[in-house]
Parts: sequence; C-alpha cells; structure tokens
Amino acid sequence: MSKPVDLYPTKPEITSYACTRSAFIKALIKLAEKDPTVCLVLADSLKSARAEEFAQRFPDRCFELGICEQNAICFAAGLASTGLKPFFCTYGGFIAMRGCEQVRTFVAYPGLNVKLVGFNGGIFGGEREGVTHMVFEDLGILRAIPGIEIVVPADADQTYQATLAVASRPGPAYIRIGSGKDPIVYNPPVEFKFGTPKIIKKYGDDAVIFACGPIILWALKATDLLHERGIQVTLVEVHTIKPINLPNLLHLIERTKAVVTVEDHNIIGGLGSAIAEIIAEHYPVPLRRVGLRDVYPESGEANLLFDHFHMGVLDIVNATENVVASKR
Amino acid sequence: MFFNTCNHHYLPIIANIIRQDVIKMIFLAGDGHPAPALSAVDIITTLYFKVMYVDPKNPNRPDRDRFILSKGHACPAYYAALARRGYFPVEWLPTLRRLGSPLQGHPDMKKTPGVDMTTGSLGHGIAIGAGMAAAAKLIGYKYRVFVLTGDGELNEGINWEAAQSASHLKLSNLIVIVDNNGWQSSGPIKLVSGLDNICSLFQAFGWRTLEIDGHDFSQIFEAIQIATDSKDRPTVIRAYTVKGKGVPFMEGDNSWHKRVPSPEEFKQAISYLESEKARLERLATSTQKP
Repeated sequence: MSKPVDLYPTKPEITSYACTRSAFIKALIKLAEKDPTVCLVLADSLKSARAEEFAQRFPDRCFELGICEQNAICFAAGLASTGLKPFFCTYGGFIAMRGCEQVRTFVAYPGLNVKLVGFNGGIFGGEREGVTHMVFEDLGILRAIPGIEIVVPADADQTYQATLAVASRPGPAYIRIGSGKDPIVYNPPVEFKFGTPKIIKKYGDDAVIFACGPIILWALKATDLLHERGIQVTLVEVHTIKPINLPNLLHLIERTKAVVTVEDHNIIGGLGSAIAEIIAEHYPVPLRRVGLRDVYPESGEANLLFDHFHMGVLDIVNATENVVASKR
Repeated sequence: MFFNTCNHHYLPIIANIIRQDVIKMIFLAGDGHPAPALSAVDIITTLYFKVMYVDPKNPNRPDRDRFILSKGHACPAYYAALARRGYFPVEWLPTLRRLGSPLQGHPDMKKTPGVDMTTGSLGHGIAIGAGMAAAAKLIGYKYRVFVLTGDGELNEGINWEAAQSASHLKLSNLIVIVDNNGWQSSGPIKLVSGLDNICSLFQAFGWRTLEIDGHDFSQIFEAIQIATDSKDRPTVIRAYTVKGKGVPFMEGDNSWHKRVPSPEEFKQAISYLESEKARLERLATSTQKP
C-alpha cells in the first residue's frame, strides 16, 4: 500500500519527542525514594507504563495485578485507606470507563488518596491503536465526578512536574498522559504550577485560545498563522481542568471577548465544556470548541489524525477567525 | 479496650439486641433491608464482640483489625453492632437514613465512626479487602481483614478478579465470610443466577475454604481461628444462614429483602425477640453458675 497523501500540510514542526510515561515513572521513583508509603498499582501495564525500574527498585511497593482494572482500583482504595499513597497507571480509557464506578464510589466518594494516571489520552495518544485504546471521554466522565482533581500535562517534563505536584496534594487525582512518543511542547522546559493557566503566546486580545495537552503545538502554529493574517490572539495552556481556575480564565475571557478551546477530547465534556460553563454563567461571549466532533475516530498516523478529524491547525485558524468575526 | 473478652454465652443476647435494633431502625426509617441484615447479625456480632482486635474509642487505630461490609445494604446490623460496641451513642440508631444523619442508607467511612470502608455497590469488598491486607504485609502490621459478602453479590465479576489477586499475593490475613442465605433480590440464587459451587470456585483460585452454620457462634468463632492460622493463602468461610433469621415471619420470606414492617408486624417482631431475649438470659445465667 502506498503512503497516505497528506492533504493538510499546515502542521507544527515537531523536532523532538520525550516519553510522558517514562517521565511519570521517573517522578514516581523520586517520590518513592523519599516516601516509603508511595506505591504503584498496575493492571498488566508494567511494561506499557515503562515501570520496570520502579518494580526492580521497589518490588514490595509494586502491585502488578494482571488485567483487572476494577479490582486494581479497589485494591488501590484498600491500600490508601491504610495511609499508603498508591498510584494506579494504565490506559486512560480503562480507568475512566471500565473503572468508572470504582473510581467514583470507592476512591472519590470516600476521598481516598489514590492517584490515577491514564495513558493514551486522546486520539493522538491512542493513534494507531484505534478507538478501543484511545480515550476521548475521560475528562468529561471524571469531571462529572465530585472530588477528583484532573490534570493534562503538555509534555514529558510537564508530566514529571505534574506528578510531583499532584503527589503533594491530598485526595484523588487523575493525570492524563500520552502514547510514549510525545512531542516536546516546552523547549526549554518551564515550571508547572498546579491550577494556574499559563500564557504561552500573547500577540493581542482579538481572541483567547485555551488549549491542553500536546495539541497545544497545533494551537501555537495556528496562533502564529493568525498573527500573519492580522488576528492577534493570546494562547493559554489550561492544564488543570479541575479545579478550574475561574478568576484567571474569566479575566482573559473578559479582556478578549472571544474564546476558542482546543483539546484532544470529544467537544462534549472536556476543556471546551468547562470553559463554556464559565462563559455561559459569568460572561457570555462567542465561543468555538475545537476537538473531536462527537464522532468515533479511527487508527492512523498521529501526524494525520488531527487534520482528518477537524482538529488541525487550519481548523483552529478557521474557528478563531469565525469567533472574532462574531464578536459584538 | 483493644481486645474482646465477651463470653460465648452472651453473644446470642447481644445478637438479639442487635436484631431488635435492626427492626426498630428500619421501622423508623421507613426504608431498608431487614432480612439481609438479620441473616448477617450473628456473624457481625461474633466479629465485633469476640474476634476482632478493635478500639472503639480510637476507631482509626492503624493496627486494628478491619471489617468491610461488602453487602452494604445489611448496614442496620453493622450500625447497631458498632453502637452497642461503643463506637457511637445508641441514640444515633433511630436517625438511620434521615437527612443529616451519620448513618447513611449504605455504609460511609467518612460519616460513621468505626466504618472502615464505604460500601453498597455490590461485589467490591474482596478487592478492597485485598488492598488492605496487602498494606498490612507491606507496613508490617499483624491485622486481619474481614470481608462479609452476600452470596448473591458473588455474581459480580470483580469478586473473581480479586480472588485471583488475593491468592497470588498470598494474603493469609484476608478472611472472607459469605453470608450464604441463598437468596438474592429477584429470588432464590439457584434459580436467578445459578451460583452454588462457591467453595470449589474459590478453591480453584487457590483459597482455603470452610463451611459452617452462620448462626452457630462457636462454629463462626472456630472457623475464624482456623482462618487466622492460615500461613500462605486467604480463606473464605461459607456461612449458611437463613434470610430474616430471628424473626419467624421473615425467615425464608424474600419479600422482606427490602420491606418495612407495619406497626402490627413491628410489635409482633419485637415482642417475639423480647421473649427470646428473656429465654437466652435465663439460659446464660444458668450456664454461668459454677
């Protein structure tokens, strides 16, 4: 079969990659070195989580239970009830969907200190594996559950920092990471501050683009293109989806009066919905949501998927032009 | 106090008091599951008044034995046992299921002193108990984890995921007791789901299994002693019980799975239990004489 033709040549140039899964484990090892209560629970995800080094160094604190996510989440709840600090790491979809009730009733409801780390976040993170191993509903599902903090780090170094930040906070949390071949968004690395949206680029106040995860690179490319076309926008990373930083986001919304959200998630339930809620309740202005448009994606090369599913650079450009044109 | 010295002869009397509490609580709440609570009373009584190392004045003591009521809908019996054991005032019991009450319709570890784990959604006790039991081995505590499940809830697949893990991790401090009353909400288990070979299923996963009469205090106690001596594997105790045990018109009548007694039925149940209690007290006094 011949190589697929790329119909959408406008893409960010990705020069370097780093593994978000390894970054999570590196942070966990650092935590475990100092804190004997830190443990890792796995559901036949030892290798895919890149957890071999953790398992070798802390065999007593590594619980590889086999393919049984519901059991693993409850097991982690049992560990946490005694004061241990378990991290459970597997595919995000198997946490948020297969283990949804266990997360809600036995982790979040009793407020147990279980940290959930879901990989293959989004269609980019799932890329060639297809729908079953992608997850584009996790933020919506988990956001609807009271008492879980949700973070979407942009790249590997941010994952490392986010893991340390989340570990220092009590109670349930979900960190969404990627495929293992994750583009570096911040080069050089920047500080991760839990809960604080980060301004990445500021051309002006024609509109604000809120984005999370590796798709930030696509949004950045769109921001530059818009600048060339005479539309000056501010690009902001919103990595902490819950608790959402209402004052900071509202300030940006009020200043620009036109909003675009960009996320590798269904447009229902995730960052776009969180921003829509703020806008609707506090400061009604035009909004466009870029994301998976409530359809099932398919397997494919990561660099083609966003364009194919209308989440590419030009889609972000179009959405922004559209929202700016509809400003009152 | 961090130990239990309750004499065997008093266990039936305590169980009788707890049964009366259960009937009163559900009657006052106007909602609840009397029959599944009554089948579990003798097991819960033996655990909290004879077996478990617990400290009601320090309910979160880290080295205490743990208890998970996987069949959370039986919680009136659990709450009554905790109150009678001194975890909280018995005056709380009539507030069951009321707005603002620490006694939720299903157990909530954040609201009720002595409740070691939130439960209610069926099938989860063994998995959580496995995590608690593994934690004991990791931290170096000697505590045991008791999980009381229904037989019906063993339908749930997560039980068997947990059965694998507990056996694989050699969690000898995990003791599961199945309140085998033979019924689930829709009818007899044999007809509804067909699950009967519980012991052979657990054995296949590598568990030690015991079978007892779940209303015989000596058998319950001895089975737990045997389970406690296990060195390398978890134990399941299949305790044959009677749904609605202790209130004759509820025994074996599955309409009492979730039903509130009428004022007439309430009086009838309490008056029967009162006369039974008087009989048990006479029996205990006569047996106590040197």
